[in-house]
Amino acid sequence: MNDPYKVLNVSPTASDDEVKRAYRELARKYHPDNYHDNPLADLAQEKMKEINEAYETVQRQRRAASGAQSYRGYQSGYQGYQGTQSGYAGSDPTLRQARAAVASGDISQAERLLNAAPEHNAEWNFLMGVVCMRRGWLDEAQTYINTAVQMDPQNAEYRQAQTAMNGEGYRPAGYGGFGTLANNDLCMRLCTASLCMSALGTGGCWVLPCFC
Amino acid sequence: MFGYVVPSRARLDERENERFRAVYCGLCHTLGRRYGFAARFLLNYDFTFLAILLSPPDEPVCAACRCVVHLLRSRCTMCAAPALDLAADRCVVLSWWQLQDHIADHGFFAGLKYRAASWLLARAYRKARVAAPEFDGAVRRHLRELAAREEERCSSLDAAAEPFAALLADTADCVADGSRRRVLRQLFYHLGRWIYLIDAADDFAKDAKSGCYNPLRYRYGAEEDKLSDENKRALAQTLDASIRQMAAAYALCDCGVWTPILDSIFYESFYGIGKAVLEGTYRKPLPRAKRTERGKQEETP
Repeated sequence: MNDPYKVLNVSPTASDDEVKRAYRELARKYHPDNYHDNPLADLAQEKMKEINEAYETVQRQRRAASGAQSYRGYQSGYQGYQGTQSGYAGSDPTLRQARAAVASGDISQAERLLNAAPEHNAEWNFLMGVVCMRRGWLDEAQTYINTAVQMDPQNAEYRQAQTAMNGEGYRPAGYGGFGTLANNDLCMRLCTASLCMSALGTGGCWVLPCFC
Repeated sequence: MFGYVVPSRARLDERENERFRAVYCGLCHTLGRRYGFAARFLLNYDFTFLAILLSPPDEPVCAACRCVVHLLRSRCTMCAAPALDLAADRCVVLSWWQLQDHIADHGFFAGLKYRAASWLLARAYRKARVAAPEFDGAVRRHLRELAAREEERCSSLDAAAEPFAALLADTADCVADGSRRRVLRQLFYHLGRWIYLIDAADDFAKDAKSGCYNPLRYRYGAEEDKLSDENKRALAQTLDASIRQMAAAYALCDCGVWTPILDSIFYESFYGIGKAVLEGTYRKPLPRAKRTERGKQEETP
């Protein structure tokens, strides 16, 4: 196994608090919410497992060193890397098959099944949204998922997908809550200004043609 | 490509700025060395960004170099590296096919400048095609699809952006490690999608005047030569979604020394550039000829 301190990106001499902070930051980075219906969710999950194990190892080592007896093991809080579940009671057979196809990663098959489905109910819209998400067709995914939520506002799964889609995502400390049109931040304007300045040629070599 | 992706300079200290410049200069040198002087004109920020993402996480080897523009003061320049070669090959191939597209789209006289450029780059392209045969095939295929989407006046943003996004995703195929390739494919797909959409927003007014196809017009049914605020919000939402997908993929890459530069790009620049384009305050760098003039003036006071 890799050096747990390296995995957590802290020095072995770091205090317990620093280790905890580093762990929390990484857990925030690879949180399942950031990888909802994402084709890379399995890699994020692996990463999360590695981080959990590293933190657990460090905790255990430190407790052993300080002579504490009653360590019970660290319970990892983040296990939920499912995108869409395969078994879902109440869906019609085609949609159930489509779900299974999504869960196994066969997006083309899921799309074929959905295109052949006669009825376009809330669940159909939701599954189309998931297929689009996995493809990277984010504009259409948004439309389908919104439609699913509109048709069945009570459904927790659809609402969760909608929330995940519009979530902020991870940003390291120091980077504010940006959005392309979120006019919430002075820093944003400053950054844009500095960008324009460099584009207009006031500063430095990036603007000059660089036939170095 | 179009040269939209630059780091937020305010976020970077002198050392990081220097490192970015070293890749930029290194790519320019590589283009010159592999493909001749004319190919150096193809240099742009997007390929610099690509070279960084294809680079190993360790500190690059740099050397002080002079060039036509930096005659007086030598610049710290990244030495020959596989990532620079890969970026240079892809830069030449993609630029060549974009030129061919322009030639096909314009009449004889309007197309003259593209023909001239194409003539100057012909040898470079023939070499690049040998260096990156799969990518050459992929670019042809994807640009044909793109032309078909334009032809049919496609009203889906995603379908219109797909060929260019898939094309950029194919640039990751040169990565040997399986999971890193997967991560970069996903990252490049959304980079391509973002660049395509931001370019469409940037050209919206121009296309409205000339009657050229613009996916945003058909998606939002916009009649005027400006996007309404509501349409801008919808576009910003889908741009943000692509940026988040890029950031999520980037989080899975070990980028080592490049981390501060890439952090500033993924967590800030993309939003800032998008905002500037949507608000109409974004200025594309001056045309190459004017910049050369200015460059000369500044070099010889």
